[in-house]
Amino acid sequence: MLNLNPQTLKRLRRFREIKRGYYSFLFLVGLLALLSFGELLVNSRALIVSYDDTLYFPTYSDFHAGTDFGMDYDYEVNYRDLKEKFSQEGGDNWVLMPAVPYNPLENHAPGGVFKPSPPSLGDRHILGTDTTSRDILARLFYGTRIALWFSIAFMLAVYAIGITIGCAMGYFGGVFDLVFQRFIEIWSNIPFLYMIIIVFSVIPQTFTIPTRIAILLTVMVLFSWTSMTYYMRTETYKEKSRDYIAAARVIGASNTRIIFRHILPNVLSTLVTFMPFTVVSAITAITALDFLGFGLPPPTPSLGELLKQGTATLRTAPWIVMSAFGTLVVLLTVVTFIGEAVRESFDPKKFTIYR
Amino acid sequence: MRFFPTTVALFALLALSACGGSSDDAQQSDFEVIDNTAEVQAYYAERPEFFSFKTLADLPTGLNWEDGSHLPEVGSPEAKKGGTEYIRLQDFPRTLRTMGPDSNGSFRIYLLDDVSMSIAHRHPNDFEYFPGLAESWAVDHENKTVFVKLDPKATWSDGEPITSDDFFFMFFMNQSSYIVAPWYNNWYKTQYTNITKYDDLTFSISVPEAKPDMGSRVLELRPTAEHFFKELGDDYVERYQWRFETTTSPYLLDDKNLKKGRSVTLTRNKDWWAKDKKHWRYRFNMDKIHLAVIRDTSKHFEAFKRGDIDQFNLRLAEYWYEKLPDDDQDVASGYIHKSMFYNQHPRPTFGMWINTSKGLLDNRDIRVGIQYASNWDLVLEKFFRGDYARMKTSSDGYGEFTHPTLQPREFDINKAQEAFARAGFTERGPDGILQNEAGQRLSFTFSTGYEHYKDILTILKEEALKAGLELRLEVLDSTAGFKKVQEKKHDVHFVAFSVSLEMYPRFWETYHADNAYDVPFLEDGSVNPDRKVKTQTNNLEELALQEMDSMIDQYRISADKQEMIDLAHRMTELHHEHASFVPGFVQPGYRIGHWRWIRYPEGFNYKHTRRWDELFVHWVDSDLKEETQAAKNSGQKFEPEINFYDQFATP
Repeated sequence: MLNLNPQTLKRLRRFREIKRGYYSFLFLVGLLALLSFGELLVNSRALIVSYDDTLYFPTYSDFHAGTDFGMDYDYEVNYRDLKEKFSQEGGDNWVLMPAVPYNPLENHAPGGVFKPSPPSLGDRHILGTDTTSRDILARLFYGTRIALWFSIAFMLAVYAIGITIGCAMGYFGGVFDLVFQRFIEIWSNIPFLYMIIIVFSVIPQTFTIPTRIAILLTVMVLFSWTSMTYYMRTETYKEKSRDYIAAARVIGASNTRIIFRHILPNVLSTLVTFMPFTVVSAITAITALDFLGFGLPPPTPSLGELLKQGTATLRTAPWIVMSAFGTLVVLLTVVTFIGEAVRESFDPKKFTIYR
Repeated sequence: MRFFPTTVALFALLALSACGGSSDDAQQSDFEVIDNTAEVQAYYAERPEFFSFKTLADLPTGLNWEDGSHLPEVGSPEAKKGGTEYIRLQDFPRTLRTMGPDSNGSFRIYLLDDVSMSIAHRHPNDFEYFPGLAESWAVDHENKTVFVKLDPKATWSDGEPITSDDFFFMFFMNQSSYIVAPWYNNWYKTQYTNITKYDDLTFSISVPEAKPDMGSRVLELRPTAEHFFKELGDDYVERYQWRFETTTSPYLLDDKNLKKGRSVTLTRNKDWWAKDKKHWRYRFNMDKIHLAVIRDTSKHFEAFKRGDIDQFNLRLAEYWYEKLPDDDQDVASGYIHKSMFYNQHPRPTFGMWINTSKGLLDNRDIRVGIQYASNWDLVLEKFFRGDYARMKTSSDGYGEFTHPTLQPREFDINKAQEAFARAGFTERGPDGILQNEAGQRLSFTFSTGYEHYKDILTILKEEALKAGLELRLEVLDSTAGFKKVQEKKHDVHFVAFSVSLEMYPRFWETYHADNAYDVPFLEDGSVNPDRKVKTQTNNLEELALQEMDSMIDQYRISADKQEMIDLAHRMTELHHEHASFVPGFVQPGYRIGHWRWIRYPEGFNYKHTRRWDELFVHWVDSDLKEETQAAKNSGQKFEPEINFYDQFATP
């Protein structure tokens, strides 16, 4: 199915040989898969409810009112209470809860007041709760998911724009190249962080949270694609002047064909090595923005927001900052390991000092 | 190219020397010296109906002169002068001016609001007036005029005597466009009708309405030093940006104590004219007040725990219970005292302001539903841990003027759903939110400009879901939040207007139709279909009821206290009936942590105070400071002090 050329196969083999990077990659893929089905692992909704001999699967379905399960209210049923109730009644009804029975937005205060509570297995708050009694594990889990998907989307968008424009600049050259180079020089001198802060503060905040996340992504992409174009432009220039391109042109290949069939596959190897590092910088940027309060709109779970809470409560609730910091370290290390491995395996010189 | 580095160095040197000298020299050399005396006199002459000159012989007889001498002292005779108090500034002040752009910051209390003297001041326990700059005064309700005799000893901080001319100049300055403060221009032009000079120390000021508290409108005025503002002109904002005004305050600022961006140190004027005056002599005890910039709140707290800052506001439960609990080492060892003081003061209007000009929210049933769907009791219990109380009406804390029996609507899912059903919202959608037949969801934005209260919104949101109401949270920074409501772009907004110590609540600003729409009603009295929302006013509910308007108009001109009380109650009832404001919470007082060497009078503070330090009745005991620091090092312990002062608590 996949018709890879021998060169690529050789690189992939080399990537597999670099154990640190390879296992990091497997770990990250596993984590992404796990996060994709997060609702089954970390959720306040039950996995399965058996009530009056009927099975319910509330995870991905519409909400169930309390009255559906014999409770006396018509808002969404609290499945933890339901489980408690069923086990007290001792009938045939039962509830199967996920491993972490909390969602990242609910305030669950066992003591009655909102305050950070330390990690406790009894309450099933494995990493404790934050300053408003939200489960930290749940927030970390969904925060990581958002950060990862966000940075992958960011990477793809940045590369799509960067490759297109850089390639066009290198291939067509001339006035087009000149104009775009000047434009990029100006554009890349606009401070990226400040622009996000400014743009995001004037955007009307009546939009829904997904829209606002999309806008944040767009703004970040708009100010980040430029660096990619430099690499693409030089690489394309280099390839363009090679004999095989000239040959292709003599045969009568169209510009499109030359770019997509000949140039792109030959320059991609350079780009692939940058990818993990773009992801790293995107995670860092989004976390930093959240920390400053300009990132993902509240109450979206995010690593930066947890770090901010953690630094404010260093003395009274050290577990907040510890878990957020730990997650960030693991995440960034793993992605960096992958990046180093990719770079090494794509390096034409077999013996290098990239270790 | 050899000359290049030398030239650069030379330029750098020049630039540096220019920087170094600029702050001091700018005041003298950059601005041309002008003298506006002629302009000021011409201004008075052009407006003889406002600025009148008479002689002592014209002073009416039979006036009832008061001097507040029967009122008890403020502060404690035990207070020791001396020491330095260390206070935190969140931001460095943007200017030293007390008027004009950027002047109304939190630093101004140390230049003006809390330290300078007005004609007379309300006694913080008795509500009556004790003398400030005045020796005596007389309120003439019939002629809507207040007569004032200044204390002959009263001087400015530079030694110049304070005279009637300074009060004339106060009007000139506040009415002038030089200060770039339209609100003040308007206030001083419309709220006063005349000032008359009888001699250098005697004058009278008239007001347009003889309200029951008309005395306060005049007695709380603060003069402006005419001789200091001789250079007042078009460039006021720049010229006076960093000049410390000649003042009536006991605290002075020397230029060398102003470290831009870092700290400000105020020093006590040892020759202050009122230092032995009754009501003043036991206050303003510290020799120095050192204000340093610490931006981050958690850093501020650490500085307090180290003893670098003397007092800390423990308003948030998080601080009172967790960060500085009673068993904290410093508290348990008696180094840091915790004090909670219950006061009596009009309460800031914390609540949910519903914009009735927005879509579904003009339907009273929806608003009533929102009222019943707001679980403030849970907020009080979980967020404030039972320390705060539920607000009853939007004008709590005004004594007789506050409605005696009205209660806010309680949290009740069934009543909320009944109300929503009356408005057509009967079915729950797949996400549990109510929908009407057209498939419209019952969903509103719920915004606020208070980041530190965002958890309150989260609680309310979660509880409202139970009633099938969706509130979409929007936490803005304070400027953006304020802008949003001023432009009336909110659906439901959580905010409070701060209120000053006044006899009766104001209604016009928040509930009059003139502040809601450009032309609210047509001539025949019906609602104008083309009316446009009026922005930049405080009528955040867009409340426009003719019945309310007529009561407000009557209330504004009424001089009869009983009638005003009656109107206030009826307006509060109508407002409650309209259901466009969900009353939130009231803070029954304030609470702080302070190091052992900060001492307070017996009973801690005064009934009508809003902050622990606003009267400057506390003092720094330097001996105790040394003793405490030594004890901290040696591990010696004192009796812990966690005190609740509830002598003024309201049931």
